[in-house]
Amino acid sequence: MSNTNEKAPENLTSIAEVEDAKLAATTEQSKSQSRIVLERFLRHKPAMVSAVVLVLVTLLAFTSIGFGPVPGWWKQSYLDAGSVVNGGKPTFSLLPTWLGGSGIAWGDHPFGQDSVGKDYFALVMNGTQKSIIIGVVVGLVGTFLGAVIGAVAGYFRGWVDEVLMRITDLFIVIPLLVLAAVLGQIAGRGSTSIIALAVVLGLVTWTGLARLVRGEILSLREREYVSAAQAMGSRTSRVIFKHLLPNTIGVIVVNATFAIAGAILLESSLSFLGFGVQQPESSLGLLISQYQNAFLTRPWLFWWPGMTIVVIALAVNFLGDGLRDAFDPRQTGKRRRRRAGLFAMPTRKEKP
Amino acid sequence: MLKFILKRLGSAVGVLFAASLLLYVLVINSGDPLGDLRESNAKNREYLMQQRIDYMNLEQPWYLRYITWLGGVGRCFVGSCDLGKNVNGIEVTGLLANAASSTLRLVLLATIIAAILGIAIGVLTAVRQYSGLDYLVTFLTFLFFSLPVFWAAVLLKEYMAIGYNNWLEDPQISIGTSILIGVVVGLALQMLLAGSLKRRGLTFIITAVFVPLLLQYSVWLNFYRYPQMGPAILVVLTLLLALSATAMTVGLKEKKVLYPALITVVLVLGMYYATFWLLQDANTWLLVIGGALAVAVPALIGKFMGGRLSKAAASVSALVGFVGAGLTVLDHIFRAWPGFLDLKGRPIATIGSSTANLGGGYWDSFLDNATQLLLPTIVLAIISLASYSRYTRSSMLEVQQQDYIRTARSKGLSERTVIFRHAFRNALIPIATIAAFDFAGLIGGAVVTETVFGWKGMGDLFITGLHAIDPAPVMAFFLVTGTAAVLFNLLADIVYALLDPRIRV
Amino acid sequence: MSHAAPVSENSAGEYALSFKDLQVTFETSGPEVHAVKGLSLSVRPGEVVALVGESGSGKSVTSTAAMGLLPSNASVTGEAKVGNVNVVGLDQGKMRKMRATDIAMVFQEPMTALNPVLTIERQLTEALELHGIAYGRAATERAVELLTLVGIPDPAKRIKQYPHQFSGGQRQRIVIAMAISCDPKVIIADEPTTALDVTVQAEILDLLRELKDRLNTGILLITHNMGVVADMADQVAVMFQGNLVETGSVDQVLLHPQHEYTQRLLAAVPKLSSAHVDEIARHAEENAAKGRELVLEAKDLVLEYDMRGTKFRAVEGVSFDVAKGEVIGIVGESGSGKSTIAKAVIGLLPVAGGSLEINGQNLPKLSPREARAVRRKIGVIFQDPAASLNPRFPIGECITEPMVVHKEGTKASRIKRAEELLDAVKLPRNVINRYPHELSGGQRQRVCIARALTLSPELLIADEPTSALDVSVQAVVLEMLQELQRDFNFACLFVSHDLAVVDMLADHVVVMQSGKAVEQGLVKTVLHNPQHDYTRRLLAAAPVPDPHEQAVRREAWRALNSGK
Repeated sequence: MSNTNEKAPENLTSIAEVEDAKLAATTEQSKSQSRIVLERFLRHKPAMVSAVVLVLVTLLAFTSIGFGPVPGWWKQSYLDAGSVVNGGKPTFSLLPTWLGGSGIAWGDHPFGQDSVGKDYFALVMNGTQKSIIIGVVVGLVGTFLGAVIGAVAGYFRGWVDEVLMRITDLFIVIPLLVLAAVLGQIAGRGSTSIIALAVVLGLVTWTGLARLVRGEILSLREREYVSAAQAMGSRTSRVIFKHLLPNTIGVIVVNATFAIAGAILLESSLSFLGFGVQQPESSLGLLISQYQNAFLTRPWLFWWPGMTIVVIALAVNFLGDGLRDAFDPRQTGKRRRRRAGLFAMPTRKEKP
Repeated sequence: MLKFILKRLGSAVGVLFAASLLLYVLVINSGDPLGDLRESNAKNREYLMQQRIDYMNLEQPWYLRYITWLGGVGRCFVGSCDLGKNVNGIEVTGLLANAASSTLRLVLLATIIAAILGIAIGVLTAVRQYSGLDYLVTFLTFLFFSLPVFWAAVLLKEYMAIGYNNWLEDPQISIGTSILIGVVVGLALQMLLAGSLKRRGLTFIITAVFVPLLLQYSVWLNFYRYPQMGPAILVVLTLLLALSATAMTVGLKEKKVLYPALITVVLVLGMYYATFWLLQDANTWLLVIGGALAVAVPALIGKFMGGRLSKAAASVSALVGFVGAGLTVLDHIFRAWPGFLDLKGRPIATIGSSTANLGGGYWDSFLDNATQLLLPTIVLAIISLASYSRYTRSSMLEVQQQDYIRTARSKGLSERTVIFRHAFRNALIPIATIAAFDFAGLIGGAVVTETVFGWKGMGDLFITGLHAIDPAPVMAFFLVTGTAAVLFNLLADIVYALLDPRIRV
Repeated sequence: MSHAAPVSENSAGEYALSFKDLQVTFETSGPEVHAVKGLSLSVRPGEVVALVGESGSGKSVTSTAAMGLLPSNASVTGEAKVGNVNVVGLDQGKMRKMRATDIAMVFQEPMTALNPVLTIERQLTEALELHGIAYGRAATERAVELLTLVGIPDPAKRIKQYPHQFSGGQRQRIVIAMAISCDPKVIIADEPTTALDVTVQAEILDLLRELKDRLNTGILLITHNMGVVADMADQVAVMFQGNLVETGSVDQVLLHPQHEYTQRLLAAVPKLSSAHVDEIARHAEENAAKGRELVLEAKDLVLEYDMRGTKFRAVEGVSFDVAKGEVIGIVGESGSGKSTIAKAVIGLLPVAGGSLEINGQNLPKLSPREARAVRRKIGVIFQDPAASLNPRFPIGECITEPMVVHKEGTKASRIKRAEELLDAVKLPRNVINRYPHELSGGQRQRVCIARALTLSPELLIADEPTSALDVSVQAVVLEMLQELQRDFNFACLFVSHDLAVVDMLADHVVVMQSGKAVEQGLVKTVLHNPQHDYTRRLLAAAPVPDPHEQAVRREAWRALNSGK
């Protein structure tokens, strides 16, 4: 269908004239692709809610206990043990007093205390920081590697492509978790820095994106604008970085978000198995691993870190979903339809 | 076709070899295998260290150790595997046998369940795009994508296993709970069956009334400790299936399909009595052969009686036969359940892959294996299910845009035929490739799941091995899972070629 | 069968398909799109009614409405009667029973219209079994019969094969076999030959005509090609922007059009005619008089594609030259290697043998740096306006990209150049900041022309630049190209499948068939006095928008074919 806006003059008798008249009559601001995508993204409600949640969680994690040398506003440290108050139960409460709760209160240990009296809020915030850092670093490293390698393999094909496909096969044979565990142990031996672990994870999580980018580039390079650019004598780097990669940005951005969620879950699994973050540092996975048997006695030690991982991963995944819909609206979750039956809102109707 | 498979197999073996070298090098460089002993204060420290060096051939350079290991693996082809010794000097080959069977059983079962359910859900949500069901499933898949495996496993263990076991001590369902369950099931069912507002409402009301009554009746029967079915219910159920399957495919007027289906129902009842004593103490072969016969015989009947509708008749009869046989087995399981509860008071296990010294007959160990496998399988299947359903959905939506779907519609085919005959097969093609990657992911998931459920499986072999910087168990783990992945991948390739004639001819 | 014949009386009043005040609107995220605005039309059994229009005219929507296959966001009012049943608002179950038995459809894209994973047998027999015409072996026999009817050789064996084992023309025959399988009252043929080569098109049209006479089926032929209309139709209906602007017999509409739109549409159709010859000849002579200054010269050119190790020879031993101010046309059907030559000149395909000289420099022998310098003098226009502009670049950047690549000019001078070029292709200057997706196909193709001219090239390569455009838009673009060529006096290599377009534009022509040049020379001689059999076949197969002339040509085409 033509995307007719009904401003077209009626008395013209040639398609070419109609089109030119429409173009001349267009007054609205022209929009670049990125802008259209951004607008679609901003209209995606689950993604927007997720974005807000993510920002809040990140702010809370980094401001509360501080980061590096910068001190935070939360008074307890995740390293100090203390006396266990009230069995270490959380003091955080949302239930107002008139409903029988203890009012909206934050308390001394909002998430409770562990068995040696460490403040669990500080511990969870510390783990959250780690998860976020891991997610972002792995996202960056993996996305960069995946995009560049995928683009090169897709553009040049030949042996580069062959090597990429063999490396991808490698990941069918060695499960990602296994390779990451081995590498995590190596990284953990070298330094206790979380960044080392993150980089190592980034080094093993790029293949999926590389495959996708490769496929995309393989189809894009047959487009005529790419041929046109080659024909006018553009350098290869210009063709790849100006014409090809920017047009795969949708695939890249969407998969970067999914990679972030995947990396956060992978790190927590590794820490759970003991190949990720090591004590005395904490991580959400490590906390769950430590307290999985405390489920019946101190369930909060199990719930808080677990819920935090789920909330972060879910928010990142929904963000990715929103991005995908924004970049590729073909399968968008919105149907343009008359609202049927019960849920119909009254609208003014006119005879067609 | 054969050439294609051989080529894939050849490259897979190459990859397997390269991967083993990579993994070996990485593992032996991931730490100091003598680290714990160096820090220990034991008097016989030197002796222990020397002993470990001997077990692990540490005095040799790494490449010799690798070649030795490779040679040991090579001997597998002549029937005498030697996968080296672990840090404590125990032959890994011996450890492997038990571990491999329980882990592979878990992974295969989870894959099959996840693939079948996931693809079914994916097709359903694609067909009902933008419905409430679609939104709900979309949200759930995202939730499953975001669940840490181990966390979900612990939750399941605490609630499903321990909760269910406690409840089973004295199974009661209060009236309020049964009404609530009825309402939830009703809501779910009307979403699933969809249709007009009237149809949905009717579905909901009938379910919401029927389910609580059924629940109360089952409590009154003490069904949960003494489940029972018997031939009467079996016949009613198979008869209902025969009628509805005929109605769904060709309509009840087509006697050519209806009669073989009804004959199958009679056969099922006959076989129920004929095999009753045989099945009291069954074995796996009996079940497999019986199952095969239960499909083959009705299918042949259908084929001969079906005439021009022989295909439909054969599949309807085979389905009835298969379900009938399944119900017969279920009846025996029900009969064995009280005895099993006596042996094992808390049936759903949370630790280990089988109960030691259980005793009892075939059905008892069958139930034992099933209850041990239940939770880990659910955890793994749920996570993999999410990706299968997601991929199937988008693949189906993609295919439905194709021109040949429009051609199919323009022939006047019903929506069901269009979806299953024309769209579904095409949509499956890309899924065959994804399945291979998913299998690798499942093995990773199995490592974590086994840890939570305390299985002494492949995961345990890998984790303790890696912690001890001990290549032998890690490589043994890799050998089994890697080979399984290669075989699975090959299977996926064959399915791919079968689905897509452009590859085949 | 004569075209002027009045509608067969015996079936008057009994329509196979009729529309009465059909209205279709689509709900979109923006304003509602009113695609069909009150259409009334009828097709009698054994009659061909052509529904003619350009893109956005609503002609395909009309046919889809008749099949009841519109998407759920469409609302249809009015009446669309198949036989005596009004299908607007008809229950889906009832509609399904009518498909194939009462109304069937032939689609535009034979390559994608068949299910790739099912055998032809399965796809043909399922409709027969569904509608209870034949079952099992009988259905297969009937399907083989149908394949024989539509001219598939060795049908008993080939029926077991899959769609990808058939050529495009054969697939369209299979789709037609499917459409006639249940003896429908009316067949809707939606651009049935648009994706096919002219010679295949002529065969398919012959087939449709023969089947219609044999089965007394009505055909609603949807097309934008006036030649096809002249060849096939008894009645013609012209649609424009959702309105039916003119109806009448084929003679009335094509020879004496009343509505201005129809008149302009017919005038826009490029025709092989002698009227142009003198002018072009004069143009060529003028150039020849000045002395030919060769820009491009190919000698014994050999081009190969590398298909995973095995070489596929696409062009073999082709020689031609183009001088400044000249246009050379390369014509042929798909797979003839015509576009491959263009690709090689642009430098996207290595030359496997022979020489390809641009301004006297042999392209295969140049270093990358020298080759870049040579490419500066070449401008390119491609076929698909939707794909030939980078969607992320604003139009201004698209046009000035060659300057950026060759590091020419400052920002201000580049903008100035872009504005000049936009003026030259008659687009408003403010387009500079717009994005490709905001322009129509014809406008984008004009932007491509502007981009090709940015560096004032000595050689312009145009690879089917108008084949994706509507007729009237094509006319505008061609006229513009002609004008610019006269003004800038560049040499031009014009690749096309349309002989009429080449006749209008080119001085010389090379006719290609499966990689070889079968005939070449001055357009005047080659296209107006063809020597080679293939050129004759090509010329005879291309239909012209005049029913009487087309009837003569069709006889000539049949004679050529039977002689073979």
